[in-house]
This record gives sequence, structure tokens and C-alpha cells, in this order.
Amino acid sequence: MSALAKYRQVFLTGIQTNLVYRWNFALRAAFSLLHLVYVFILWGAAYQGQTEIGGFPLSATLTYFTLLLVLQFFLSAANDDYEISEEIRNGLINQFLTKPINYLGYRLSLYFSARFIMGGLSLLPVLLALPLLWPHLALPGEEHLPLYLVAIPALLLSALIQFTIAYCFGLLTFWFLEIQSFVILSLAVEAVLGGQVFPLDLMPGWLYELSRWLPYYYQMYFPAALLTGRITDFGLALQGLAIQAGWTVLLLGIAQLLWRRGLRRHTAVGG
Amino acid sequence: MSALARYARIWLASIRYSLVRAMMFRGDFIMWALVELFWMSVNVLLVGIIYSHTDSIAGWSQYQMLLLVGTTLLVQRLLMAFFWSNLFEMGRNVRSGHFDFFLAQPGSPLFMVSTRKFDLDGFINVPVAIAIVVYAAKQLGLEPTTGQLAAYALFILCGLALHYATLLAIISMVFWLQSAKGIEGGYFGLTEFSRLPREALRGVANVVFVYLLPVIIVSNVPARVLIHGFEPIYAAWMVGATLLWLAIAIRIFHAGLRRYASASS
Repeated sequence: MSALAKYRQVFLTGIQTNLVYRWNFALRAAFSLLHLVYVFILWGAAYQGQTEIGGFPLSATLTYFTLLLVLQFFLSAANDDYEISEEIRNGLINQFLTKPINYLGYRLSLYFSARFIMGGLSLLPVLLALPLLWPHLALPGEEHLPLYLVAIPALLLSALIQFTIAYCFGLLTFWFLEIQSFVILSLAVEAVLGGQVFPLDLMPGWLYELSRWLPYYYQMYFPAALLTGRITDFGLALQGLAIQAGWTVLLLGIAQLLWRRGLRRHTAVGG
Repeated sequence: MSALARYARIWLASIRYSLVRAMMFRGDFIMWALVELFWMSVNVLLVGIIYSHTDSIAGWSQYQMLLLVGTTLLVQRLLMAFFWSNLFEMGRNVRSGHFDFFLAQPGSPLFMVSTRKFDLDGFINVPVAIAIVVYAAKQLGLEPTTGQLAAYALFILCGLALHYATLLAIISMVFWLQSAKGIEGGYFGLTEFSRLPREALRGVANVVFVYLLPVIIVSNVPARVLIHGFEPIYAAWMVGATLLWLAIAIRIFHAGLRRYASASS
């Protein structure tokens, strides 16, 4: 079997597994619409009596949060860290040590399959709500086209960063019995510095500049800001893409290091 | 009275057991307490960021909003400390059949399910939430009377009961759905609204989240009593809604309990 065909098979199996949980995904997507209602009410009230906040009209801010909601389903490594942790604890990873399949490649294929199903299903409630949402949204004009082109590789790199961070947290199981608190702490940092709580450009200038050098910025905020017109400078967009690529390589390196070091501590038992 | 005393003793024993357990896994406890503290800071930060760009949200000033958010956090920490883990695990236990364990105990299943665990990491952040409320009140120059403080404490307890009822009603759906995976997301989705001032809601949202569901009054009524003083109509609303929602949630739980058929493996 060629190398690619192996991972294609993993991807297809992942699709089937994820389809089993389609109702849970749909339910989660429906609940996240509730979050969107909260966001619309909060920011709608904050904009009362003024046309702009941070240089953006209400429609731009609401478009940002709506897109972020969809991107979360397409990009967030929702459960991968726990699954990896579980596989290490249960000894399921032992089979990867003797077979010609790369564990990172295997998990990455599963990540893409889960995102494919979850992203697709999350679109359903959003599409149903679109007639209600549409009058409140505004996309940037045609002059923004070059930035959309930067957003395409940025989205792919965001996916890789999301996955690799979750993968690294999962691998921490080699050292710690329980990783849940690490993951939730990281999620909280990501919620703030990844722009899920508020658009990062509303932060004080120095804090925003600092956040641009951290990986969280590139987990979701960067492509979302490119797509919704919050980043308009082409040079800055390219610089962002370069930093994002740098973080992707660095995180993949850390993942590889953790895997090698972790395996040294790992004891495979049973028969 | 003796039955009440017996339940109080059981609850105290559960709390004592949970405290010993928390001290056995100190690292874990510190980590979780930090996680909760961080999430609380995120909420305060959001208020700071929005008010660095605007003066008012639906007529509420920055420190009034901080008082509202602090109140929400206080109720949530209490829920996390006393009930969250218990009800969250109920969802899992019904599916796995471990729920039998609670039915076999000599006491009300709802009480046994709700009080088995006490989370110290949630409780340890209660003073932080109180500190946020006190700080906001000081900034607003409020000097609440003893009566106002007593009403605030009562409304916080009502708020806790309302959150408990909401969570119980949502998690009890597991008796019909068979899997509780993800349904707790409904609780978090709803409680987000308690960080909003009532005046921000209009039209359908006003009807649904203010009148139909108790998600706005749970924080707005206690915050109002500190800011605007005691208003009998709000007090009656809060206590009435608490009793009504507790009754509804307990009914749903018991209806679900009748469907429970255990599980075997």
C-alpha cells in the first residue's frame, strides 16, 4: 500500500466513526448558535450610541464572530488531545510502534476527518439561521481579494497549528497521568489570545503586538481577521503568514521531540 | 426534622470525604483552581476591553457591569463547588448503569446524586468572585444596608437553586437521549446570558431569556438590589421563579427516573 493510501484509509474510517456521532455534533452546533445570539446582544448593546468600535462598524464585528463560530468547527482540535491521551494510557499506541504507520500522520488523518464532518454539520444550523443573520453581516469589498488569497494557506496552517498543539498536549500523558487541566488552561489562554472572546485588535496596542508573535494568534484569529477585513495591509498579512509558518514548523518539531522522549518513558505491557 | 438532620449529616460527610480527596491530589487541585481563576479573569477582561471603547452597555456603566459579572461568577462558583460534578457525572452514570449505585442508597436518589461530591477548586474561588463584587461596589460608591446585603445573599442562593434546576433539567434529558455527551453545552450556552444586563435584550430575546427562561434574572436581580436597593416586585419574581423552576426540574428528573432501566455488560 502506498504511503498516502494508508492515511486515506484512516481518513475514511474516521469519517465513518464521526458520522456515528452526527446528532451530538449537530446538537453542539445548535448550542453554539445560542452563543452567537449572546454575542449579537452584547455587542449590539455595546455599539449603542456609536457607529464604530476600534475602527469597525457593528456589522464587521458581528461578521467576525459569525465566521469564528464556523471556523471553530472546521479547525478546533476538539477531542484529539483526550483521544491521544487515552490511547497512550490504554496502551493502544503500542500497535503503532510495530506497524509501518506514523502515529502523527495517523492522528492528523483522523483530525481532518473529524473536522470535515463536524465543519459540514455545523454549517447546517448556520445556514438555517442565515436569513436572520445576513442583514447584520458585511463582508469586505473586491479590493480585499489579495488578502483572501493569503487566507487560504493561513487556514491550512491554522489547522496544522491547532492539531499540533492538541497532539503535544496528548503526548504529555507520557509524563502526567491526567492532562485535562492543562488542556482547559490552554483553552482559556487560546480563548483570549486566539480572539474568541473579543477581536484582538481591540486590545491595547502593545498587547496586540505581543499577541501577534504567539501561536494562539494563528490558531484562528489570523485567518478570520484576513477574511473579515480586520487585516487590510497586504505586507502585514504576508508577514503574519511567515510567522505562522514558523510556528507550524516549530510546533511540529516539538511534537516530534515529545514523541521520541515520551516513547523512552513508555512501557508497553500485555499480550 | 430528624430526616433533615440526617441528610445534613450525609452531605457534611460527603464534603469531608471530598476535602480529604482534594488534599490527596493537591497538584490537581491547585491546577484546577488556577484554571477556574483564569476563566474568571477572562470575563473581567472582556468587560475591561469593551469599556475601553464605550461608556455604557444598555445603560450600565463599567463598574455596574463588573458587579453583574462578579455576581454571575459567584453563583457559578457555588454551582461548581456543590453540584456541577455530581450532575455532570449523573449524565455519564445513567448511560453506563453506574446510576444503580445511587438508587441502592438509603435516601432520596436526587439528594444522593446531587451531593456526593464537593469541588474545593470551585469553592476556593468564591472569595475571588466576592472580591470582584466588593471592588465594583466600592468603585460605584455603594454603601448597602444590612437589609440589602441579606437580600443579596438570599438572591444568590435563589440563583444557585435556579442554576441547579437548569442543569438538572438539561442533564435529565439523558434518560430519554441515552447519551449526555454534549448536552451540558446547553447549560453553558444558556448561562452565558446571565452576564448580560436585562436592558440589553429586546423583542423575542427579551421574552425568551427574561420571562420564559430564568437566565437573566439569576444575576440581574441580585445585582439590582445592591445598585438600586430592594424592590419587592423583583424579590417576588426571583423567589417565585426559583420555586417554579425547581419544581419543573425535579419533575423532569423523576419522570426520567421512571424510564431508567439500568444497563448491563
